[in-house]
Amino acid sequence: MDDSYTGLPTSHLLGSVPAATNDANNTAKQEASDANMQTFPPNQAGDRGRGYHTLDNPPETFEEQPANNWRGVFSVSSYTQYFNVDTDVVIFRLISSFNPYGGDFFSKIDANPDLYGLIWISTTLVFVLAALGNLATYLMQKHTGTSTSWSFDVGYMNVAACAIYGYAIVVPLAYYFFLQYMGSNASLIRFWCMWGYSLSIFIISSFLLLIPVEALRWLIIILTGVASASFVALNLKSCIEGNELSVAIVAAFFLQIALAVFIKVWFFA
Amino acid sequence: TVLPARPPSPPRAQIPVSSSLPPPPPKPAPPKPQPHSFPPPLPPPSSSVPAPPPLPSSRPEIAASGFGPAPNTLTEPVWDTVKRDLSRIVSNLKLVVFPNPYREDPGKALRDWDLWGPFFFIVFLGLTLSWSASVKKSEVFAVAFGLLAAGAVILTLNVLLLGGHIIFFQSLSLLGYCLFPLDVGALICMLKDNVILKVVVVCVTLAWSSWAAYPFMSSAVNPRRKALALYPVFLMYVSVGFLIIAID
Repeated sequence: MDDSYTGLPTSHLLGSVPAATNDANNTAKQEASDANMQTFPPNQAGDRGRGYHTLDNPPETFEEQPANNWRGVFSVSSYTQYFNVDTDVVIFRLISSFNPYGGDFFSKIDANPDLYGLIWISTTLVFVLAALGNLATYLMQKHTGTSTSWSFDVGYMNVAACAIYGYAIVVPLAYYFFLQYMGSNASLIRFWCMWGYSLSIFIISSFLLLIPVEALRWLIIILTGVASASFVALNLKSCIEGNELSVAIVAAFFLQIALAVFIKVWFFA
Repeated sequence: TVLPARPPSPPRAQIPVSSSLPPPPPKPAPPKPQPHSFPPPLPPPSSSVPAPPPLPSSRPEIAASGFGPAPNTLTEPVWDTVKRDLSRIVSNLKLVVFPNPYREDPGKALRDWDLWGPFFFIVFLGLTLSWSASVKKSEVFAVAFGLLAAGAVILTLNVLLLGGHIIFFQSLSLLGYCLFPLDVGALICMLKDNVILKVVVVCVTLAWSSWAAYPFMSSAVNPRRKALALYPVFLMYVSVGFLIIAID
């Protein structure tokens, strides 16, 4: 880490995160053996070596804590382990999500799944759908000659936010619980990460869907839907084993296609 | 002792002492029984001097710098409080939005942060967009206000989660002050309803806002993650800019 930004004396200021120096990193690595990312909520081992000493949590009682307690839920520093990515890592994962035939996404994110992709890709998609949906409706009306006045419907923002955030959060959660019930070991963070990156291809297709030709729009959305759905399905297949769960994989495929069709029908009609 | 309800006397420069002694309470006017022929030997005490208006103290560290205890802000006139806050907003605005030599150092850039300025700017932007809209006015205000307020909090959390070093409220304050150019742009777009003009004005003010926010955000995180911290700021300003252009 550079000296330029760790040199700020901010630890005495309210709300700041103290700088993690090198010796704190070494101790954090030894103590963070229980802070594996299989567990969610994150336990507080992530901030043990960083200077946050709560009154009821002296460092020497660390070993007796179970690995899955809820103590770190309201502390920002215990979530930084899910955002431990650099720019080039995020760009690499983004580009590999455009490839529907890989099937190896989980092995790429295995050591370090991140929630940054989920949050900001879905937020970008919400904004792009709301903005370009209005623009596409206007262009289609102008093209078919019915009316040429621009009207901005703010309701698009609400629908886009509910749909995209709802899908991106609820579907991986449902799969996590379903797979846990079925007995196979699943990791919620990796599911969220994978589904989040799978939405990235819709951002590009939204720009293409501006073209006001109906047949072309359907073609574009079918292609993107299939690409995104096969990305999700192939990666799920590589993650879970067993033939009796292939129903779940097919369901994931069709859910993604349904999302694509919904986007076309609601925003780009 | 209970002081009489009057404006406090201005703090006078004293030799700095480790323990700040309270100034002597204002004494009532001593009786002057002396005959007319003798002029009073000493100048009258401070209490008979007409009390000048209290100084607008823009720096709360006056008490710590050896000038005596801070002026009592509870009994000052309301206009003085408002004037003090307004002058702080203006000085913060000049620091953040206009070029000045302290921009590269986030520790100095907004040392005296406040949240009144951001509040005014966000509400003003929401109101301007709501006035410009022809339908669903309240929904437009709600979307604009929610987007900006929640956006500022989420952007700050984003930097903290990426392992950056910022102070939470200082960052909220800074992101609010950087909205000032977009406020100006929204006002111009409301007054003149021409699409080309709107696009040009929004592009210029968007660039200005991003330029204002860039040094603070980029110096707060690891250089390898700079783009990860800056992209959401850019996204928020672009979405607000689009709202300004698109509202009819």
